[in-house]
Amino acid sequence: MPPRLEVDLAPSHKRGLALRNPVMPASGTFSWGLEFAKQFGVEGLGAVVSKGVTWEPRAGNRQPRVAETPAGMLNSIGLQNIGINAVIDEMAPAWAKWDVPVIVNIAGDTVDEFGRMAALLDGVPGIAALELNISCPNVDQGGIEIGQSAEASARATRAAVRNTDLPVIVKLTPNVTDPVGLALAVEEAGANAICAINTVLGMAIDTKRRRPVLPRARGGLSGPAIKPIALRIVYDVANAVRIPVIGCGGISTGLDAVEFLMAGASAVQVGTATFANPRAPLDVVDELTAWLEREGVADVNEIIGCARPAAVAG
Amino acid sequence: MNIETATLLSNEPAYEGARIAWLHAPGVSANVQPGQFVMVHCSHDGLDPMFARAFSYYRVDGDRFAILYNVVGKGTGWLAERGRGDQVRVYGPLGNGLRLPDQAGNLLLIGGGVGIAPLVDTAERAIAAGHQVVAMMGARTAAHLLPASAWPKEVEYVVVTEDGSARPKGFVTEHLGQYQEWASRVYACGPSAMFESLANVLRQNGRRQRPEILMEENMPCGWGMCYGCAIFTKHGVRLCCKDGPRFNLFDVF
Ligand SMILES: Cc1cc2nc3c(=O)[nH]c(=O)nc-3n(C[C@H](O)[C@H](O)[C@H](O)COP(=O)(O)OP(=O)(O)OC[C@H]3O[C@@H](n4cnc5c(N)ncnc54)[C@H](O)[C@@H]3O)c2cc1C
Ligand SMILES: Cc1cc2nc3c(=O)[nH]c(=O)nc-3n(C[C@H](O)[C@H](O)[C@H](O)COP(=O)(O)O)c2cc1C
Ligand code: FES
Repeated sequence: MPPRLEVDLAPSHKRGLALRNPVMPASGTFSWGLEFAKQFGVEGLGAVVSKGVTWEPRAGNRQPRVAETPAGMLNSIGLQNIGINAVIDEMAPAWAKWDVPVIVNIAGDTVDEFGRMAALLDGVPGIAALELNISCPNVDQGGIEIGQSAEASARATRAAVRNTDLPVIVKLTPNVTDPVGLALAVEEAGANAICAINTVLGMAIDTKRRRPVLPRARGGLSGPAIKPIALRIVYDVANAVRIPVIGCGGISTGLDAVEFLMAGASAVQVGTATFANPRAPLDVVDELTAWLEREGVADVNEIIGCARPAAVAG
Repeated sequence: MNIETATLLSNEPAYEGARIAWLHAPGVSANVQPGQFVMVHCSHDGLDPMFARAFSYYRVDGDRFAILYNVVGKGTGWLAERGRGDQVRVYGPLGNGLRLPDQAGNLLLIGGGVGIAPLVDTAERAIAAGHQVVAMMGARTAAHLLPASAWPKEVEYVVVTEDGSARPKGFVTEHLGQYQEWASRVYACGPSAMFESLANVLRQNGRRQRPEILMEENMPCGWGMCYGCAIFTKHGVRLCCKDGPRFNLFDVF
């Protein structure tokens, strides 16, 4: 018997968010999914997560946008995207044909804009859930202030939840001293799930030019380099909230996914790994399945949170 | 796109600072258009560097392909030390290649430095399709030139060096001379500065050759996933890997 891989990411929501397996791409590392669908098909994934969408189209930052670091990368893409109306008109119709839930990542400039975007996406065929990017560090007026404050994060969450029937996932930034406080605040505000983490603020210097490599100096660090940070935050957050947690940060193998599931994640997102290995999200599904089979685990839900303090003490 | 583990068949010096590597990889060698590129992983563990490096197809022959590469940093330094029988992960072909005209014409190919890499395969196909081909290469010194033997014998090969160690001296775009009038189409690959001066020269000529260029940007993924390779054109932002690397010269410069 192959192991059962189904998970529900929104048990607190009236329709839930059932995934055939707990592996999905991370926002901004999968474009709109169309390239991947053409190349490998998306039906082997638990879900698809779109690039971050803003109210207006954005051209993004100038070059260089990326700096490679050992086992990681710094990015300052600047949310280049086609804007919410084009997503509804051009992308959603394609998504509606797929047999896989599509989660749209939205990046509001203000609390109010999160509400307006949620309202606009409500009921659009092809969209299964929203992920609030309150934690993108790249845009001057962007989510940075919202994601830094528990109170503002809760308000953004409330604005979205009130304006949509879709399940709402809130994505946390690691660039705060108390991610658990933020998680509790957005849970209280009605989030159906939490995703942790977004990129870790970092920078690199070009010693030849004696200047920061990236035009905005700071960038978001991602990739295997941040996995221990992500794992720690997922472990702490999953231990504190009752809603599901989606683990994200440095996951590139099935065994990485197993670690996050054991720490308490109900699902995982694969990001930067996809740049190095185009098949990465599908490889993670295959490797996770093989691991469960090898270990004789009949249902992936059995290992979720098995390394958490309560489970370990019990 | 195909993903494969390629076997290195050879990896020899080509000229000062550059090498030619032949790799056996049937899927990645199939259906390649001139000007397309391949991503080659350049580390043992995939962690440093983590991302594959982009290289133009220099030549394609059945189940194998070659790249002509400059040894400039960590990844290409690693690759330079690999030998026959070593294995590397590759994926491709990627991007949009050059479009050769249907009618036989006079094609001027211009390469700046290692930008010459995609133009040899382009020349071979152009000759086979009945075009006349002049290839120009600009390099720092005579030691940095691709040897004439690399080209099909039908190609007229013109070289320009910055220090004059092979005549004429200067930048390749200063020596287009008679070829500018002769050419019905222009194809170029090289650094931005070369494209800029090429645009200035050809603009005075009424832009009649509809020049196509192959551009370069940092490419973490190579197939439209990361948005790291943005190029700002006169018609808005484009991805070098997915919308390019072929652009119309005058759309960018
Ligand atoms: C579509 C495409 C086709 C290419 N074709 C060829 C080719 O046929 N032959 C060839 O020699 N090179 C080619 N390049 C460039 C090649 O990808 C880079 O030289 C290579 O990535 C350098 O890797 P590295 O790890 O050795 O250098 P790094 O350690 O990453 O960098 C060394 C230096 O090169 C610069 N650099 C790194 N990557 C790039 C890049 N993609 N473009 C410009 N500068 C860069 C860095 O800023 C640094 O100054 C191509 C690039 C693209 C995008
Ligand atoms: C190039 C790039 C673009 C990203 N864009 C977004 C985005 O638009 N919205 C978002 O919520 N997260 C974005 N992220 C963050 C990722 O979704 C993910 O949280 C982070 O990269 C950590 O996971 P990883 O180490 O697996 O990449 C982006 C990351 C990268 C590398
Ligand atoms: S290299 Fe990633 S989008 Fe072009």
